[in-house]
Amino acid sequence: MSSATATTRPKPPPKWPYTVAGLALIGIVLVAGWSLDDAKWERLPQFPGEILQYAGQMLDGVLTWPGGHPEGQSDPDLTYGDWWLQALKLMGESVALAWIGTCVGALFSFPLAFLAASTTAPLVLRVPVRLFFNAIRAVPEILLAVIVMLPLFGLNPMAGAMAIGIHSIGSLGKLTLENIEAVDPRPVEAVTAAGATWWQRIRTAVIPQMMPETVAFWLYRFEVNIRASAILGVVSAGGIGALLNRVLRGREWEWGGIMLVVIIIVTILVDQLSAALRHRILHGAEATAVAA
Amino acid sequence: MSLATLERADGAPKQVRPAKPPPSPLLIGGVLGAVAATVVAGWAIDFSLAPVIEQWPMLTMILEEVVHPEWAEITDPSSRLWIAMKETAAIAVIATFVGSLIALGVALLGSKVSAPPAVFRVTKSVMSMIRSLPDMAYALVFVAVVTGPLPGILALTIFNIGIVAKLTAESIDAVDPGPLEALDAAGATRWQRARVAIVPAVLPNYASYVLYVFELNIRASVVLGAVGAGGVGQLIMLYFNRADYARLAAVVIVIFVVVIAIDLLSQFLRRRLV
Repeated sequence: MSSATATTRPKPPPKWPYTVAGLALIGIVLVAGWSLDDAKWERLPQFPGEILQYAGQMLDGVLTWPGGHPEGQSDPDLTYGDWWLQALKLMGESVALAWIGTCVGALFSFPLAFLAASTTAPLVLRVPVRLFFNAIRAVPEILLAVIVMLPLFGLNPMAGAMAIGIHSIGSLGKLTLENIEAVDPRPVEAVTAAGATWWQRIRTAVIPQMMPETVAFWLYRFEVNIRASAILGVVSAGGIGALLNRVLRGREWEWGGIMLVVIIIVTILVDQLSAALRHRILHGAEATAVAA
Repeated sequence: MSLATLERADGAPKQVRPAKPPPSPLLIGGVLGAVAATVVAGWAIDFSLAPVIEQWPMLTMILEEVVHPEWAEITDPSSRLWIAMKETAAIAVIATFVGSLIALGVALLGSKVSAPPAVFRVTKSVMSMIRSLPDMAYALVFVAVVTGPLPGILALTIFNIGIVAKLTAESIDAVDPGPLEALDAAGATRWQRARVAIVPAVLPNYASYVLYVFELNIRASVVLGAVGAGGVGQLIMLYFNRADYARLAAVVIVIFVVVIAIDLLSQFLRRRLV
C-alpha cells in the first residue's frame, strides 16, 4: 500500500531554490543594515513611546475647541481656529498646484505619446521620445525644482506646479503610449482601408478608444501629485509642505496635528472623488449605479 | 438595391446618414468642471509664465554650472556623494524588505477572502488613513525622535506597508475560488487556507509589487534626506543652500543613472514574474 501511494502522488517541487533566494535576501538586508553605521539602532525601542506621546499632543490640538488660544505663542490673539484656516488655505494651494502640474503633464504628454507608440509612429521618432519620457521620470521632482524651477519662478507655487508638471510628462507619456498601443486594431484597419490619412486615423479610430483610460490616468496622477507636492514644500516651492516642515521641526505638535488632519481629510476626499470619477469614466453609468 | 438609393429616390438624402449623437450632458459638465477647476487653481497659484522670459538669464547662468559638473565627486568612490548614495540604497533595501514582509500579513487581514468581515473592514480603513499621509510627513515626525537613516527607514517602511498591502489585498480578492472551496470542504483553518491556497496564488503578483515599491523607495529616499532622514537628499539640500550647482549636477547624474538602472532591472524581473 505504501508503495502504491508513493508512486501515485507526484513529488512536490524542490524547496531549496526558495530557501537559497530567501537566505540571499536576508544576507543583502543584513549587509545593508551593517553598512549604516550611524543608524542608531539602539534608539528603535524608544520610537513607539515617543511617537505615541507626540500623537497624543497632536490629538489634543485637533480636539481643542477652535476658539481657544494655544499656549506659548507670541501672538496672544491667535486661536486654534486660525491654525485650521491656515492649514486649509495652504492645503488648497497644494491641491491647486498639483492640479496645474497634472494639466501641464497631460497637455504635453498627450501629443508626445502618439510620437512614441509603435502603432502610430516610426522607429526614428519612437526611440528619442521614449528616451525623453524615461529620462524625465528618472529625475525626482525635488531636483527639477531646485535646479530649474526655483531659479525661474522663485519661492512660490508656480515653481512646484511646473516641477510636478514636467515630471508628470514622463509617467503620463509612458502610460498614454501604452494605451495607444493597446487599442483594438480593427477600427484602425477599417479607416485605413477606407483611405484615411494618419491624422484621420488617429482622430477617428485611436483617440475615441484610448481616451477613457487616459483621462482615468490623468485623475490618478492628480492624486499622486497631491502627495508629491508635500515634499516640494520643503524647498519652499509652494503648498502646505513648507509650513509642515517648519512646524514639525519646531515640535509644535498641536499645530502639526491640525495640519496633518487637514492633509488626511483633504487627500481622502480628493481620492474618493477621483476614484468615483474614474469608475464612471471607465465603466459607464450602469456599472456605477450598481456599485453605488 | 440598398436602402440608401431607395431613399435617395424619395428625394431625402439627408436621412441616409444617421445623425451624430450630441455630446452627453455629463461630458459637457465634466469638461466645464475641469476648465473651471483649472481656472480656479491657476488663479490660486498666480499662474504666470512671464518669469520664464524674465528670469531666463538666471537659469542659463545656473545651467552653465550644471553642464560642468564636479566629476571628482563621481569618480572618487570615497566621496560624500557615494557615501550618501550607499546610505540611500541601504535605506531602500531595508525598508522594502521589512515593509513588504509586514504588508503580506496586513494584506491577508485586509481582504474579505482571507479575513472575517469585521477585521477586513477595520484593516482597510486604517490602511487608507495611513496611505493618505505623504511619506515626508512620517519622516518629519520620526526625525523629531532621532536623526539619521533610522527615521528614513521607518517612514519608508510605513509607506511600503500601505502600498504593498493595498495591492496585494486586491490580488487576494481576485484569487481563484476553486482551491479555497476545496480546502473549506476539507475543513481547513484560516491559517491553512492562507498558507496553502492564497499565498502561493498571489506570490508572483506580490513579488512584482515588492519590486515596484523598491523602485519607488530609491526615488523617495533620495528626497527624504531633505528633511534630515539620511541619504543623498541631505546632500541635495546642502548644495542647494550653498548654490553649489556643479556638485548638485554630479548628484543629479548619479541619481539619474542609478534610478534608470534599477528601473530596467526591476522591469526585467517583473516581466519574468508575471
